[in-house]
Amino acid sequence: MAYGVVANFRELDAVVEAVGALKKASVGKFTVYSPTIHHELEDAIGGGTSKVRRFTLIGGLLGASFGYWVSIWTSEYWPLVVGGKAIASWIPYTIIGFEMMVMVGALSTVFGMFILNGIPRIVVDPAYRAPFSHGDYGIHVDCAPDQESAAMELLKKAGASEVQRAR
Amino acid sequence: MATLAQPVKGPMRPNIASADIQLPAVRDFEQVDNEIAATLGPSKGWFLGLALSVAAMLVGAGAWTYQIYDGLGHAGYVPPVMWGVYIITFVFWVGIGHAGTLISAILYLFRAGFRTTIYRVSEAMTVFAVMTAGLFPIIHIGRPWKFFWLIPYPNWRLLWSNFKSPLVWDVFAISTYLTISTTFLYIGLIPDIAVLRDREQNPTRRLILSILSLGWRNTDVEWRNFTKAYLFLAAFSTPLVLSVHSVVSFDFAMALTPGWHATIFPPYFVAGAIFSGFAMVWTIAIPMRKWWRLEHYITLNHLDATAKVVLFTSLVVGSAYLIEFFIAWYSGVEVEQSYFWNRVFGQWWWSAWIMLICNMALPMSLWSQKLRRNPTWLFILSIFINIGMWYERFVIVVPSLSHEFEPWQWTNYLPSWVDVAFIIGSFGWFFMWFLLFVRQLPVMAIMEIKEIVPARRKHAAVHGHGGAH
Repeated sequence: MAYGVVANFRELDAVVEAVGALKKASVGKFTVYSPTIHHELEDAIGGGTSKVRRFTLIGGLLGASFGYWVSIWTSEYWPLVVGGKAIASWIPYTIIGFEMMVMVGALSTVFGMFILNGIPRIVVDPAYRAPFSHGDYGIHVDCAPDQESAAMELLKKAGASEVQRAR
Repeated sequence: MATLAQPVKGPMRPNIASADIQLPAVRDFEQVDNEIAATLGPSKGWFLGLALSVAAMLVGAGAWTYQIYDGLGHAGYVPPVMWGVYIITFVFWVGIGHAGTLISAILYLFRAGFRTTIYRVSEAMTVFAVMTAGLFPIIHIGRPWKFFWLIPYPNWRLLWSNFKSPLVWDVFAISTYLTISTTFLYIGLIPDIAVLRDREQNPTRRLILSILSLGWRNTDVEWRNFTKAYLFLAAFSTPLVLSVHSVVSFDFAMALTPGWHATIFPPYFVAGAIFSGFAMVWTIAIPMRKWWRLEHYITLNHLDATAKVVLFTSLVVGSAYLIEFFIAWYSGVEVEQSYFWNRVFGQWWWSAWIMLICNMALPMSLWSQKLRRNPTWLFILSIFINIGMWYERFVIVVPSLSHEFEPWQWTNYLPSWVDVAFIIGSFGWFFMWFLLFVRQLPVMAIMEIKEIVPARRKHAAVHGHGGAH
C-alpha cells in the first residue's frame, strides 16, 4: 500500500528541479517515473551504480567453468584415443567454455536485473499512473501524513501539473 | 542508454555523420507512441502477406514430411557431394541473423545513432532467421528425431558428444545465439510493452500485455538496473556475434577439402554475414517504412549510414574472394589451383559469377551518395545481395565437394525439387514469424526513440537541442 503524494510533470527540467528540492527538504523517500532514460535526471537522482554487474561476473565465471568442465570430464570419461593427440584438448574446448560463459553470464545478468527491480511484479503500484509511460514524468514521495502538505507544496512549486495523494 | 554520441549542432546535412542522426519530424513523446502503436492495426495487406507466408511454409513442411517418409535420397545428394542445399541454406540464414545483433549490440556500444530506429526490426529478424537456420541441420541429419544425441546429458547409452567436433560447436554456438538474441529482443521490448499495456482498452489484451511487461513501471531504479543489464548484454552479444559465424566457418575450415581448409574463413564468414544481414534489413525495412509511412523515423540518413556499412562489408568480402584465389596460386598446391580454376572458369563458372557480380560489382554503386539515398535502388540491390550471398555459400559448399583430390570422384550436382521446396518453405517460415511479430509488438523501440526526441522543457535547453515542443 503506497502512502504519500504523487505528482505529474509535463517538463523534464521541472522534474529535475523537483528532485533537487526534495533532496534538500528531506520530506521522505521518493521514486521518480520517467517515460525514457534521461542522463540529467539520473544525475539529479544520484543513486549509485547498479549491482547487476555482480550477477554478470558470477554468471560468466560459472558458465565458463561449466563449459570447460563438461568437455574435459566427458573426454576423460569416454576417451577418444587418436594416435598422439591429447584426450582433453583445451583449444577446441575454449569454444564450449566461451559459449557457456556468454549463455550463463547473459542470463544471470537478466536474472539480476529482475531481482534488483523486483519484477515480475504481481501487485499493482498505487502510485503509478498510465501517463508515466506515455509522455509525463512522475514523482511519488513516500512521506508521513503530517508531511504530505509540505511535499505537495514543494512539488507544485517545482512545476507539477497535477499533485494527488497516493491511495 | 543513449545511442547518440553528440547532439546535433546545426541544420541537418545530407551527409550527416552516422552518430548524429536525429528525427527532426518527430516532435514529442506522444507522437512517437501514437505513430508506432498505429503500426499494430490490422490490414488486408498483412493478412495477404501472412497467407502467402503460411502457404510457402506448408510447401516446405510437405517436402519434409515426404522426405521423412521416403528417405534422404530425395535430397539431391550425389556422392561425394553429400552437403547440398540444406547446409547452404543453413549458413545463409545464420548469416542473415547476424545483422540484428550487430545493429543492436555492436552499434550500441559504438554509440551509432542510426541504429535506433532499425534495431528492433533487425533483432526480430535475427531471432526468426536463427530459428529458420536451426531447422536445416536437423533436416540434413535425415533422422531428425535423433537430434538430441548432439546435446551432452547423462544417458543409459553411456554416450557423450565429441567436443572436438565442429558439429557440436555449432550446437553450442547456435543455441547460445538463439537464446541470447531472444533475451536481448525481449528485454528491450519490456518498456515498450508497458507503453502498449497502458494504452490498451481491451481487458484480455491488457492482461496479456501486463504479464508480458512484468509489471514494469518506469521508475528510476528500474531504469538504472535496466541500463546496466542492457549494456552487459550488448557486451556479451558483441563477441558472440563474431564467434557464431566463426564457428560455422569451422565446419568447413576444419576439413582437409580444397577451398575449405583456410585460416581466412572466420573473418570472411563474419563479414559476409554482416553484409547479407544488412541486405535483409533493407529488404524488410524499406517496404515497411513505405507501407506504414515511417519515412520520418527510418530517414534517408539512416539508409545512407547502413549503405556505408554494406559498401564496407562488400569490400571486405570482395577482398576475401580475391585473397582466396591468390592463396591457391601462391600455395603451389595443384589440387587447390585446379579447384579454384574450376570454380571460376570451369564447371561452376555460372554460380561463381553470380556471386561475384551480386556481392562485389553491384554494391560498388554505393560509392554514389545519390544511390545510397535512393530507397528503390537499395531495395533492388538488397534482393541481388540476398541472391548473391546464397550463391556464395553454394560456391563454397558444392564446387569443393564435387572437385576434390581424385579426378574419378569429380561429379555434378543439381538440387532436387525437395531441396527447392525447402528453400521456399524456409522463407515462408521466416516471414510468417516476422509478420506475426509486427502485428503484435512495436517494430521500433519506442523507449529509445523517445531518448533522442528532445524532451519538453519549461525553459529552452542550454545546449540548443531542446526547447518546448
